Amino acid sequence: MRSVILAVLPILFIHAKCDDKYHEKRKQLVELELRMALGGNSTLNDKENIVNNCLMQHKFNELDYGFDNPDHYNLSHHFFNYRKQIQKSKVYKIIQSMPKGAVLHVHDMAIIGPDYFVNLTYMDHLYVCFGKPIKFWFSYTVPNTTCDGDWKLMKDVRKAAANVTQFDADLRKHFTLVCDNPDVVYPSIKETWDTFMGYFTSVFGLLSFRPNWEQYFYDALKLFRADNIMYVEVRSILPNLYELDGTVYDKIITAKAYRKAINKFLKDYPDFLGAKLIFAPSRKVDAKVLDSYIQTARHIKRDMPDLYAGFDLVGQEDLGNPLIEFVPQLLQAKDLNFFFHAGETNWFGTLTDENLVDAVLLGAKRIGHGYALAKHPALMREVIKKDIGIEVNVLSNAVLSLVKDVRNHPLNIFLSLDLPVVLSSDDPGAWEADPLSDDFYVAFVGVASRLADLRMLKGLALNSLKYSALKAEHKVRAIREFNSRWNDFVNHFDCKSY
Amino acid sequence: MDTVTAFTILCLLIVEARIIPDNYSKERRALLDEETLTAVGGKQHLNEDETIANDILMKWKMNELNESYINPQHFNFSKHYFSYKKDIEKSKVYQIIKRMPKGAVLHVHSSLMLSADVLVKLTYEDHLYACYSHDDVRLYFSETTPDRPCPTKWDLVSELRNSSGDPAAFDSQLKKYFTLDKDDGEDYNFVDINTVWKRFDKVYFAIKSLISYRPVREKYWYETLQQFYDDNIMYIEIRSGLQSLYELDGTKHNKKYLLDLYKKVTEKFIETHPDFIGVKLIITKHRAQSIDQVLEALNMARRLKVEEPDMIAGFDLVGQEDIGRPLTDFLPALSEAKGDINFYLHAGETAWLGTSADENLVDAILLGSKRIGHGYALTKHPSLMSAVMKKDIALEVNVISNVVLSLVHDVRNHPLASYLAMGAPVVLSSDDPGAWSAEPLSHDFFVAFMGVASKHADLRMLKQLALNSITYSALDDEGKARLLKVFNERWDRFVRDVITDVSLLDTNVV
Repeated sequence: MRSVILAVLPILFIHAKCDDKYHEKRKQLVELELRMALGGNSTLNDKENIVNNCLMQHKFNELDYGFDNPDHYNLSHHFFNYRKQIQKSKVYKIIQSMPKGAVLHVHDMAIIGPDYFVNLTYMDHLYVCFGKPIKFWFSYTVPNTTCDGDWKLMKDVRKAAANVTQFDADLRKHFTLVCDNPDVVYPSIKETWDTFMGYFTSVFGLLSFRPNWEQYFYDALKLFRADNIMYVEVRSILPNLYELDGTVYDKIITAKAYRKAINKFLKDYPDFLGAKLIFAPSRKVDAKVLDSYIQTARHIKRDMPDLYAGFDLVGQEDLGNPLIEFVPQLLQAKDLNFFFHAGETNWFGTLTDENLVDAVLLGAKRIGHGYALAKHPALMREVIKKDIGIEVNVLSNAVLSLVKDVRNHPLNIFLSLDLPVVLSSDDPGAWEADPLSDDFYVAFVGVASRLADLRMLKGLALNSLKYSALKAEHKVRAIREFNSRWNDFVNHFDCKSY
Repeated sequence: MDTVTAFTILCLLIVEARIIPDNYSKERRALLDEETLTAVGGKQHLNEDETIANDILMKWKMNELNESYINPQHFNFSKHYFSYKKDIEKSKVYQIIKRMPKGAVLHVHSSLMLSADVLVKLTYEDHLYACYSHDDVRLYFSETTPDRPCPTKWDLVSELRNSSGDPAAFDSQLKKYFTLDKDDGEDYNFVDINTVWKRFDKVYFAIKSLISYRPVREKYWYETLQQFYDDNIMYIEIRSGLQSLYELDGTKHNKKYLLDLYKKVTEKFIETHPDFIGVKLIITKHRAQSIDQVLEALNMARRLKVEEPDMIAGFDLVGQEDIGRPLTDFLPALSEAKGDINFYLHAGETAWLGTSADENLVDAILLGSKRIGHGYALTKHPSLMSAVMKKDIALEVNVISNVVLSLVHDVRNHPLASYLAMGAPVVLSSDDPGAWSAEPLSHDFFVAFMGVASKHADLRMLKQLALNSITYSALDDEGKARLLKVFNERWDRFVRDVITDVSLLDTNVV
């Protein structure tokens, strides 16, 4: 008997040893991956650990419910179907009250939601044309711009409506992409972008009316601040502002209006760090028009150096001109600081896809979207080497038909590789999302690893300042200010209040 | 300086400003070339004839893709496979791929390889009884009414068909039990993963009940080999749990019997198709089973490997990964068997990140899996990805399966795009083509080539993918050499066919 035991023991021992070694190796691999990921290398202090425990407990609850009931897993469906339910999430509430740093990729005409525009339609001297899409114009007299219907005074039209509440509700639909049955209304990227472009046409006349413009951006900054954002870089085509008497100003005046609104806001809310402008005109232009844009950018940079952050080209990338067509001109304009949209596409190997190459070679400081980047190992390497920020907008990519189930969004690859990612919201007003919290929530719960925690959230917030266009000394100040707000958030955190 | 000279210089400057400088173009070219060279097939060289065939292929590819680029609302691959399946045959690119030798199929489940139409034909065999219960059917061959549980009642299929008045309608109803593609216009984008898997399991059990009868299984297997052969596949590794078959008198065979049947029927097939190389088995067990049951299957696989070393390739665990047991549950047993049998483990067939199904990838790699089934989640794991590259572990990618089984909607978001770009060791396969009535492999190749890969990906990628299926097969060196020889002969013939086919000449004449 004894000899049998003696003979068996070493075998067991060897097995146990193998097993231990396996588990050790396994643990190392899993931990290595978590450490490599964005935020994975930072450590949390005791207070942060308390926040993290609360956050993760709620995150696991929400995710495990989705895992067990995939038919009820909201984030695999269209944002419009779960938009309102997000607000019940405790993870969301924590994220909302958390300081998130800066928003670095947002288009000015789509920040505030549809109700704001409905209110604007109550202003005097507003004309409306019920074409496709609906258009508005402020004027003393009937506007002489073309429209596929008749220009009528808004006031008269509303007065003639049988039911004003219904009238306003119908009107509101023109200022949002949100609908009840998105999968039917938007079967492909074409329908989405058609509606999205229509949105911009519709709000254009309401916003580029000079008095509205200044007030609008002031109100937009208020929204950002309320969502715990302390700094914004806004992309603008700089629409030519107009007056009731038909006066139209040049783009420099629009930039000045920005400066005025920002200064006023900073005076009223001194805890806000500020806002800068990325001049981002349409990419669907010829070389001559681009020259004039470059001139305008130089002009603003020279006259308003504190306002000016950089230059970009916008519009549906698949349909606009690829960057390669503008390379000769853009190479001469590298002093403008580029923040190019690139690779906002799921067409692999097309000109749109290759915009990524040019964005990298033209020395872009950040890349807008970079959705296609995961398919380009060499470019990914360059992005890391050159430390180019990637502005990721998950909800935008979902709403604008690049991806349905956000778990397939390439952001999860970027996060696991610790790419220089900043989260942003692109056009939150157009789909009635928060200035940033909804995007943070969906990225954190829907895209990132189940195990990603507060360290990733903090890392993302810090990235938004690190990759901002702030001057070095301002950046240091911004990060210091962020840390102090972060400490406030952590010190006053009470799990029970969520 | 006179004004004319000044003007000339000014003009030159303006012109120069519109030209892309050489160093920029060079840098740009270098980056793009690097990506092309890194990608799967990037290092393949095409001979003269292949170059001509490639030009023809790419002319059609550009033609078809440009059409969708301009009209994205018609871009088929962004929609569900079922919505465009019928249109695939019209594509010239598909017609070329169909004729192309594709090497081997390395990831396919043995009971779900044959399309529903052929299965319906097998229901014309004598003595077949059916038990219909609300949305399910069970089939059983028996001389008399089966003495088996049935919530309704057992009826002879031949009688049901005759008394139906419309045999064609009867058959098309019956067919619906054998496929997920019910052709009823339902939008599968709204069906969640658990529901799809439930339906999938139902299809599996219906088919299994038909082909558990020994004579039908023989026919099933011969017909399957024929269809794969006709799809230009010369070698197959099937995953099988080795169920027991029965005879008309109710006699039940042991599990090994099915292995012998596969061997016997395949040998018979090779007699008339001498360039077909053969079949190997990867023994499987459902991952939802108990640890003891898995251990038992594992031990059977080890035993069979000793008895039939040429027929057994390895061992795997199957079934929906998210809700099945993780590999860690079976660790001691798998670790212990590692030296006796090769693993070809399913891992990372999930959209979830950071869950146990996702972490199966870690265990598959640590257990020394020769290939990984699916590996859908791998792009999200940089260190595992580099381990896969370093250890040269092939990824068995099944794009259409991942769409049908609800991991991805628009195939352009499938991680295969990244694997191809990185030059990862990829083999394309079809998983369960019978369950959604796909071609044995051509549909998967087509969707991967047109919908997932880069627009620039060409014949070199297709050839590399076919060659990969030989390189990463479980064949020994001699077997691989034989397969490669057959492949090369067929490849040359294919290339000559393409370049002499008048119907492929002009993209304008459709």
